[in-house]
Amino acid sequence: MSEAIKVDIWSDVQCPWCYIGKRKFEAAVAGFDGEVDVEYHSFELAPDTPVDFEGSPKDYLAERKGISPADADVMLGRVTGIAASVGLNYDYDHVHQTNTIKAHELLHYAKSQGRQVDMKERLLKAYFVDGRHVGRIEDLADLAAEIGLDRAEVVTVLTNETYLADVKADVAQAEAYGINGVPFFVFEEKYGVSGAQDPATFANVLEQVASERAQQSSESVK
Amino acid sequence: MTDPTTSPLTLIGDPNAEVCEGDFCVIPDHHEQAIVNRRLDDDAI
Repeated sequence: MSEAIKVDIWSDVQCPWCYIGKRKFEAAVAGFDGEVDVEYHSFELAPDTPVDFEGSPKDYLAERKGISPADADVMLGRVTGIAASVGLNYDYDHVHQTNTIKAHELLHYAKSQGRQVDMKERLLKAYFVDGRHVGRIEDLADLAAEIGLDRAEVVTVLTNETYLADVKADVAQAEAYGINGVPFFVFEEKYGVSGAQDPATFANVLEQVASERAQQSSESVK
Repeated sequence: MTDPTTSPLTLIGDPNAEVCEGDFCVIPDHHEQAIVNRRLDDDAI
């Protein structure tokens, strides 16, 4: 069996296109005849947001961007509709806008436990669908425990900022690649795909990488 | 800790695909029509 294709994904927990893009990427992987190894990386869209920001994304848009509540409703309604088209039931009326640095630290801890992909899905669903808080240590520890991680250990590593340097390293790598927005997918450290592209785009890149590998393999045995 | 990789990436795909930049997520108007078109293609409408 050939080696898995490595896909590094930069995203943020409170990025609506990241969850939608995740579903589209997963659809491509499901139809791909080969192994794919996914690793998530940290990207903070709004690092200056207070953990206990009092308000919804609509409030945030109004306060930070000067967007009227009516226009915000239209915008969030559109993204909710697009999310629904890929099977995600966004509930913006109950979303807690927050700072995601601790969620990113948790994702690195989960990676150390071999559970990063599961943790990523739980955090995105918690934020967009379940109306859970993803900025506070105790709430994050609850979410981690729900997928079987050690709750007490999560509290310890988040309190001690054990994985903060890993988060910063991801952000530095994103800057080195010139990544300005998320989601951003990097295939084999060679091909970059920006945004919530259609599954066909992701599928084409996977096929291209697989084809290049096959060609290199055949040339190496000549 | 290792230094960041600086090899340039070859960009693939629609350059206008939806992304979040800074603290703002672009939500283009054309999506609603795209969804309607897709549902028409699927005979869902």
